[in-house]
Amino acid sequence: MTKPAPKEISAMAAVAGLPVSAEVATRISNSIGPAFEGFAAVAGTLPFDLEPATFVVVQTGKVSK
Amino acid sequence: MSTEPALMTLTSVAQAIAQKKFSSREVTQSCLDRIAQWQPSLNAFMAIEADAALAAADAADADLAKGNNRGVLHGVPLAHKDMYYDAGKVVTCGSQIRRDFVATTTATSLQRLKDAGTVRLGSLQMSEFAYGPTGHNAHFGPVHNPWDIACVTGGSSSGSGSAVAARLTFAALGSDTGGSIRMPAHFCGVTGLKTTVGRISRAGAMPLSQSLDTVGPLARSVEDCALLLGLMAGADPEDPTAITGPVPDYAAATTGSIKGLTIGVPSAFYVDDLDSEVAGILEATVAVLKREGATIVQVELPDQRQLTAACQLVLAVEAAAFHKRWMIERPQDYGAQVLMRLQNGLAVPGVSYLEAVRWRGPALSAHLAATSGVDAVIAPVAPVAAPTIAESDVGNSPDAEAVIQRLTRFTRPINYLGLPSLAIPSGFTRAGLPVAMQLIGRSFDEAMLLRIGAAFQRVTDFHDRAPKLA
Repeated sequence: MTKPAPKEISAMAAVAGLPVSAEVATRISNSIGPAFEGFAAVAGTLPFDLEPATFVVVQTGKVSK
Repeated sequence: MSTEPALMTLTSVAQAIAQKKFSSREVTQSCLDRIAQWQPSLNAFMAIEADAALAAADAADADLAKGNNRGVLHGVPLAHKDMYYDAGKVVTCGSQIRRDFVATTTATSLQRLKDAGTVRLGSLQMSEFAYGPTGHNAHFGPVHNPWDIACVTGGSSSGSGSAVAARLTFAALGSDTGGSIRMPAHFCGVTGLKTTVGRISRAGAMPLSQSLDTVGPLARSVEDCALLLGLMAGADPEDPTAITGPVPDYAAATTGSIKGLTIGVPSAFYVDDLDSEVAGILEATVAVLKREGATIVQVELPDQRQLTAACQLVLAVEAAAFHKRWMIERPQDYGAQVLMRLQNGLAVPGVSYLEAVRWRGPALSAHLAATSGVDAVIAPVAPVAAPTIAESDVGNSPDAEAVIQRLTRFTRPINYLGLPSLAIPSGFTRAGLPVAMQLIGRSFDEAMLLRIGAAFQRVTDFHDRAPKLA
């Protein structure tokens, strides 16, 4: 997963109804970029059947030391 | 017993009022006197409601005289972060946009404290829409740290940290989405409890991120946090994410010994690049826990940077979604930094957001496996003590997010995992600034953290130290 480029961010923001200038798009790209880089090893690797609700299942499961 | 009631702990002042050693009016007046002295230096309060507070205190005293004790906090004056809806009251959320917003409902957590008998002192300052870790606020000015007013309080529960530390309120509600209870607890030298996601109802609390938001107290001791948690926890029909089932006896948990418990110290990440004084305080804290009978072991945690990244993706999107309408209609009414951070959410594709949400289960599972041999993990809340307001005022500079990430480095992974974490005052730097460690537990096992934290506070006095007005 690579961080979105300013041009892509401009398009996404416009679709969301919140157009941004080229300068803001560049700033956003630099700001959120490290999150994409940090998550890159996980992105695209999750199993098909993994539901978001798995979190609650794990959270409420009985885990003992 | 202190002759100045405002200096007492929540637990002890509640008992003193119940036993009629102090009236609620005396206690409330004592807090109001301190607020009058400190507020010009701290800017910790958003609103001070002196007349109404004294009238409510008189009513509480009259009730008690008639034998009508409303609850365990009968007549105790408190103030909370200004994001908890209180029907009929203005709740600004630290923002220009909600400067005149009058709530029509009352937050469940706040209502439960009211039902226990509390008196409202006013409301406390906060970062705009709880979206900032330092305590700066573009609309209402920064909140100042009572240990050094040139320094930040941490955010977003900035007023809560400052006011509890300065003994202006006995405790305060905060909220923790990325570290917003633990950071002010660390920088201001108070005890702060970030609860498990689902432990306390979020109904009537201003939302920032539905996946990450948690309600919790900042107080002067672990015992006080336990009291407040016991009152607020539990199922709520207004918030289906609040778990059902019995609420543990948290007060009882604070009396337990830590002999036989095992506490893990991370082998990496939380011990990397620490300020030398913070590193020394971590070492000293571990030594105290060991002396009290805990076994200390090293734990190897999964990659915390991935958790931080996932947390950032989830928070960015959910915050932007909550704010989208105002971002379209009133962008000029946001502080520049908050608007800038909200715009980050526009850059995350839906698929990436959902991947970050879906990974939470496996990530929590991996963490629980890595910590299966310990009862809790101990780590610093932040790598440094409080920076100055000037040096951390990054405004809307392109470097702002990087600065924010550095400050919240040790708190965000815990938010992503939804785990409870108790910040306890653990020492002071040579410059006199407080430093806290966080005890990180298993989901819904706040009782274990309270047990360890209370044992630590029985043999240390860092939490008892109060700042002096310069």
